[in-house]
Parts: sequence; C-alpha cells; structure tokens
Amino acid sequence: MDSDGRRKFLGVCLAGTAAAAAVAAGYPVFRFLAPRSGATGLQKLVISASDLQEGEAKFFEYGGSSAVLVKTKGGEMIALSAICTHLGCIVQWVKEQQHFLCPCHGGQFATDGTVLGGPPPRPLAKIPVTVSGGNITIG
Amino acid sequence: MSLFKRLYRWVDLRVGIGEIADKELTGYLLPRNINAWYSLGSVLMVAFAIQVVTGMLLLVYYVPDAEKAFKSVNFIMNEVPFGWLIRLCHAVGSNTMIAALILHMLSTLVMGSYKSPRELNWLSGFLLFSLVQGISLTGYLAPWSQLSFWATTVATNSVSALPVAGPGMVEFLRGGKLVGPATLGRFFALHVAFLPLVIGVVIVVHIFLLKRTGISAPPFGRSDTKTPWQAERYRYQSHPGGIPFFPNYMLEDTTSICIYLAIFLGVVFFWPSMPFTPDAFVPADPFKTPAHIKPEWYFLANYQTLKIFPNELLGLTVQGAAMTFLALLPFADRSPERHPLKRPLFLSLVAGGILLWIALSVWGHLS
Ligand code: HEM
Ligand code: FES
Repeated sequence: MDSDGRRKFLGVCLAGTAAAAAVAAGYPVFRFLAPRSGATGLQKLVISASDLQEGEAKFFEYGGSSAVLVKTKGGEMIALSAICTHLGCIVQWVKEQQHFLCPCHGGQFATDGTVLGGPPPRPLAKIPVTVSGGNITIG
Repeated sequence: MSLFKRLYRWVDLRVGIGEIADKELTGYLLPRNINAWYSLGSVLMVAFAIQVVTGMLLLVYYVPDAEKAFKSVNFIMNEVPFGWLIRLCHAVGSNTMIAALILHMLSTLVMGSYKSPRELNWLSGFLLFSLVQGISLTGYLAPWSQLSFWATTVATNSVSALPVAGPGMVEFLRGGKLVGPATLGRFFALHVAFLPLVIGVVIVVHIFLLKRTGISAPPFGRSDTKTPWQAERYRYQSHPGGIPFFPNYMLEDTTSICIYLAIFLGVVFFWPSMPFTPDAFVPADPFKTPAHIKPEWYFLANYQTLKIFPNELLGLTVQGAAMTFLALLPFADRSPERHPLKRPLFLSLVAGGILLWIALSVWGHLS
C-alpha cells in the first residue's frame, strides 16, 4: 500500500513535469505560428477623389481584407466589404447594371450593399467614408 | 475499467500491441553490464527529431531566394514571436547533434562494437555521419549572409583540386562558375528535402541492422556469451538473463536525453552567439570577401589539413584516405578482442587520432 502510494505520487510528479515541458515547448511554437493580430493591412486609407468617376468602383485592401469603393451615378461615395456574405467569394462590379455580382453562386447586391438576389443571407458590410476637399478617407 | 484501458483493450484485441510491447520493450533483454554510452543512439534520434521539427517551423517564414533569404531570416529573428528561439534551436542543434554523433562513434570505436558481426552497423553509421556533415554544409548557406556565402565558396572550392573532373564538379555543385542564387536553389533542395529523407531511411536501416544482429555486450566486466559469433550461419545475439529495455534501459535513455537537452538549451539560452560570427549578420556580398572566413568547428581540422599541405590535391587525398580507412575499419581490424586495454596499439591510435584532430582544429581556429 505504502509503495503503491509512492508509485502514484511519483507518477503524478512525472506527468506534471512532462505536462509543464510540453507547455513550455508548445507555447513558443503556437506563438510562432499564430497570425500576427492587428499588424495586418491598413486600417485607414486616403484616395484622391479624382481617381474615381461616377458609376465606377475601385477595389482595395483594407484591414487585411478586400473592400470596394463605389461612386454612384448620383455622386455618393459608398465603401463596402467586398466579401460575399454567402461563402466568402469576392464580389465583382457590373458597371452596366450598377450592381455587384458574386461570381461563385450568382449573389447580387445593390450599391449600398443590400441583397438583390441569390443565396447571400446578409447585406455587404459597410465601411465608413468621409469626403473632405479632394480626398476620400476610408476607415 | 477506465476509458483509457478500454480503448487500449479495444485496439489490442485487433492489433496485438501488447504482444509487440512484450517482445520489444519488457521482453527485449540487454546485457546486464550495458553502460550509458549505449544511450547515445536514442539521444541522436531526439536530436535529429528536433532538427526536423525546428526546420519545418523555419520553413514557414524562410524564403529560399537570394534576394530575400537574409531578410527573411532577420524577420524570423526580430519580428516573429519566438522566431529567435526556433532559429537558435536549429542552429545550435546542428552543432550539439554533431558532437553527440562524434561521441557515439568514439564509444563504438573504443568498445570495439564495430567488429564482426557488426560491420554493416558501422558502415551505415559512417554513412550517417557523412550525410549529417552534408546536411550541415548545405544548411549553412541558407541565411545568405557573408559567413554563409564565403564559407560555401571555400568549401566547394576545395573540390576543384581534384584532377581532370575537379573544376567541372565544382561548377556542377554550385550550379554556376561561382556561388550564387543557383547554388542557394540546389543547396536548399538538398537541405530540406533530399538529405533529411535519406538520413531518415539510413537511420531505419541502421536500427534494423542493430535489431537483427542483436546489441553487443560491452567488453567490460562479465561476459554473457560463452560462444562467440562465428561466420557460419545467422544468429541473433541474445542476452539471456539480461535487463529489460523497458523500464530499466529506457530510464538510462531518458537520463541521457535530459542531459543532452540541458546542454543544448544551456547553449541556446546562455551562449546564443555560439553558431555565429559577426559576418553572419551581414548580407552576402559577392564582391567583398571578408577577412578570416572559417568553417564551423567540426570542419576546422579538414580546413587546416588543406592549408598545411603545399598542394591541395595532396591534402584532399590524405583526408580521403583517412576517411576511407575509418569507414572500412571493421574489415581491417579483424581480431575478436574488444576490450580497449587489451588493444594497446589500437587505443593509442585512437587517442593519437583524437589529439591530432583537436590539434588541427585549434590550429585552424587560431591561424
Ligand atoms: C543520425 C545519426 C545516428 C543515429 C540516430 C544513430 C542511432 C543509433 C541507435 C539508436 C543505436 C542503438 C543504441 C546504441 O548503441 O547507441 C545505434 C547503434 C550503433 N551505431 Fe549509430 N546512430 C547514428 C550514427 C552513427 C554513426 C555516425 C556511427 C559510426 C560511424 C554509428 C555506429 C553505430 C554502431 C556500430 C552501433 C552498434 C552498437 C552496438 O551494438 O553496440 N552510428 N545507433
Ligand atoms: S459565395 Fe457569393 S454567392 Fe455564394
């Protein structure tokens, strides 16, 4: 009984040491592989207003992801996430019809991001835009 | 019954792992007078595994392109969390592994375990030694620093002393007249794909041979075999009444592995500059040879030998002859006696060889 208790105690010590060693080796490896949060991509972007004509769209990288800026026929500036809310493809701008089409399963979105048709369940996420002077500031 | 036990039983009923454990662990008997030197093989397997794992991790951020390699290594060292740790483990590990490899060779040398019937064990081990030197040499170029670039230039250049084919071989080795981006491409492929695979296969062969022949009993103290092996028919050398591998010898293996890890991590944390010289922190410049380019410590003796002979070909020939002699030693040294003190000539040669190697290395380091 006594020897059994000792055996168990030593076993627990050994398992504890092994677990500590595994954590000590595993933590650096996890941090090494983990994506570097926050550091990815621009959080603020300034575009010159003259770069964009009415009825056109411009795709760019924003916060490590894809986004699009549209200037509507009425001259309004709208910035949206370009990630389709269905399964994550990148939407395309169809100039003739003045809407977004997702090439994957035919989802359609209006210039303000609302769903016009197809499988997407939610509108495209909006990104704040401010226009001052000749510059458009996104984010 | 605990869940774990039930799971074990479920697998065991189908695969019979208990039977393997009985045969290979508790039923695998080793000579009673086995000593700690026999655990170096396990240490080497751990050391090799560490190189494989840290190497795979480095591949996540390393870019094998002459324009980007140095930058990517700097990025690993300075930006990636714990990148310095992974890189240092890989760089220091190559050194400590070679040190363990040399000790392993010396122990089998002194205890005479290379002798018949273990010639193939020695040969496969010698092959491993050469391959490990090769993987160190090719990996050294990867950071594309001044040190990498010029050490590789010097190392590959020595081949050009070979008659007739020499210059052509150097060009083939480098993928061009001089060390350059093409060299990085082929060395990188050798270092991360070809050599690790070949080393892995040769390790399997090495251990297969060991399992088929049976482990040798140390030549010290009691002898557990009355009838020595004779070249008549195959016979597994068993050790009836010996100690089981598990748990007895596994404890010895674990102890040695812990000592190895302590030394290895000691260097990583307290002597991180060990694998580097100042030239390792300057990007490669093909137009500027730095002064005092030296290879790593385990190549210093070879380097010095090349320098002391008036003629490079002679230096290469002497080294080639020494290596060939060492590789074929079991076929030259055929007496069955294995106790080092009963082989005074051999022991003096080994001691002399080690002293010569150390002297040449120190000389190479200082010159
Ligand atoms: C990656 C490198 C190597 C690994 C992983 C390795 C692994 C092993 C292992 C696990 C053993 C059995 C236990 C022991 O005696 O240590 C062994 C035995 C042996 N090794 Fe190696 N080895 C390596 C390199 C070498 C080299 C370079 C040589 C010599 C040129 C060598 C010569 C031998 C011999 C002769 C034995 C048989 C020992 C006996 O039966 O008494 N090995 N090796
Ligand atoms: S991913 Fe866009 S419609 Fe399916």
